[in-house]
Amino acid sequence: MTDQKKLSHYLNRVAEIAGQAFEKKIRIALLGSFTLNGLAETLSVMCAEKNIQCTTYVADYNQYNQEILNTESNLYKFFPDVSFLLIDSRTILGDLFYYPYSISKKERKQFVDKKIDEIQKLIHIFDKKINSKLVINNFNIPTFSPYGIVETKTDFGQHQMITELNRRLANLFLNSNSIFIYDFNNFVSKYGEKNIFDDKQFLFGDMKISLDYIPYFANDLLSYIIGYLGISKKCIVLDLDNTLWGGIVGEDGFSGIKLGPEPPGNAYVEFQRVLLSLYQKGIILAINSKNNYEDAIKVIKEHPYMILREDHLASLRINWTDKISNMKEIANELNIGLDSIVFLDDDPVNREYMKINLPQVLTVDLPKDSSQYAEVIKSMNEFSVLNITQEDRQRGKMYTEQRKRKELEKSTPDLERFLKQLDLKISIKNANEFTIPRISQLTLKTNQFNLTTKRYQETDIKKFSQDQNYVVGCAQVEDKFGDNGITSAFIVRKENPKEWFIDTFLLSCRIMGREVEKGILGYILNKAKENGVERIKAQFIPSHKNKPIEDFLPKCGFQKEGDFWIYSMKSSFVIPECLTVCVE
Amino acid sequence: MSKRLYDLIARVMNVPHSSINDESGPTSIENWTSFKGYVLLSELEMEFNVKFTLEEAMDVKKVADIKRHLNNHGVTLND
Repeated sequence: MTDQKKLSHYLNRVAEIAGQAFEKKIRIALLGSFTLNGLAETLSVMCAEKNIQCTTYVADYNQYNQEILNTESNLYKFFPDVSFLLIDSRTILGDLFYYPYSISKKERKQFVDKKIDEIQKLIHIFDKKINSKLVINNFNIPTFSPYGIVETKTDFGQHQMITELNRRLANLFLNSNSIFIYDFNNFVSKYGEKNIFDDKQFLFGDMKISLDYIPYFANDLLSYIIGYLGISKKCIVLDLDNTLWGGIVGEDGFSGIKLGPEPPGNAYVEFQRVLLSLYQKGIILAINSKNNYEDAIKVIKEHPYMILREDHLASLRINWTDKISNMKEIANELNIGLDSIVFLDDDPVNREYMKINLPQVLTVDLPKDSSQYAEVIKSMNEFSVLNITQEDRQRGKMYTEQRKRKELEKSTPDLERFLKQLDLKISIKNANEFTIPRISQLTLKTNQFNLTTKRYQETDIKKFSQDQNYVVGCAQVEDKFGDNGITSAFIVRKENPKEWFIDTFLLSCRIMGREVEKGILGYILNKAKENGVERIKAQFIPSHKNKPIEDFLPKCGFQKEGDFWIYSMKSSFVIPECLTVCVE
Repeated sequence: MSKRLYDLIARVMNVPHSSINDESGPTSIENWTSFKGYVLLSELEMEFNVKFTLEEAMDVKKVADIKRHLNNHGVTLND
């Protein structure tokens, strides 16, 4: 993660992956103002390592304007899922890259206006023409200024001019679901201008990004592919001793472990802070530790310098059971796939054991030096998402509430009584500007309780929602422990006045097993009835993950007819008593 | 040390070690494209911790040239 393989590795490996089959597919277009040699190969190999088949289109050198403006261009014929428009500072600034003070402050401001206008028009054409995400980079601020130390005293000098260009660029597409800004300036800051730009390579081969850093650059771009495909990791499972704190609590005792403001304990505090920041964006945290439960939980609950507390942890497996069984139980309890989990453990033996037994889990090699733990997490792109919804921000809290629900369930053996006690309320919402991002996200991420596993981008959902022939909606589920957020989505196509077809019906794993699906289906059936529909057609498309929904249609009274399932409106569908369904 | 150099060239060019000799270059090794030539120089600099000058980089036509320039930077390659 922090160390990348060399570019030659990717260039040579690309031939080996050709013709291999992968689980996911993506089409990537690369448009650049400079030579992009090696980038497509590197991206393809990195994708293959994540079981993604990446097909690339690389536009000719500095032809991005023509490719976008010409509606018959090869770019549009390629039908990319994600396009990267990579423009370097030399190209965008032209002569001003070298001679920013050859013109007045007013002219520099006009220059920014002009460039923003050009970019906006170009991207507008692209966005209207094609259903592809577009990622455009912002511009790095060169450390050199002809004004030297007076640069910072110069009103709208070169540095301010580029900062303004970047700010305006970000603002242009702040609310866009299809255009994203890649923070290239940040990339240069991270690895250093002297490393990213190699004058010799530039002068000799017109390479504007040093070849050594093409893999790092590709790794950053890969984040968008992970986000687009909805394959980001959902959960971090952590060991405790020498991972969340230094030392072994069972031996060193509550006050003997290293955790606090002084080194080396502060390394663990730092690490926990980064984990908490990910929790706040929606990453679930869980514990898988061989330990005495009492010793460990006392630290989690009472240690003055613990950052992560019990409420941040969705699942606790603190016992002497082997870590593989614990891991399977955690995945089961949280209702997430093993391939959504990242495992962090300081012990190389435990890591190896996990890698061999559960290769689906991403087991990260933590360095020996605990001061580098935080960096390992910070440099991972596996948590990348293209947007962060309200549900994401609340996810950690929701999982804690879920743990409490499970505790109630355990103490109430009768399922019907348990469900009644939950006070379940389902609010059906139409697709609108607030719910569309979440509906798309649910179609991209939901695997288990998903009838057809059709993946839809926001633009697709938007299109359906504007089409009279579709009913697109979602459901927010609340109970006495809290709000689960929007956790279900459906897309129904009106085939003809008498027949509707359920294109998509899914439920987040968080709320499975509570009859919620029957409440939502009941809503769809009632709506169909009100519209004079006689038959509802549905389809179950098996995947290797959606077994939980396999029996859903027959259980709800659908009859098999060829490849489809049919519900006749003559039958009456009863929404379970434990549910309150309302329509917003 | 020549082995270390040949290993690196073989790895970058994705050819067997045995196909590399001092006369090897873009004309004898099909994979040795101009781009692979840039990649080779960049990985040589990392491997041997040297920085070639622009003139040296432009001068590389075969393995013997690389040896000569590495030697200029104090890297001794014993056969």
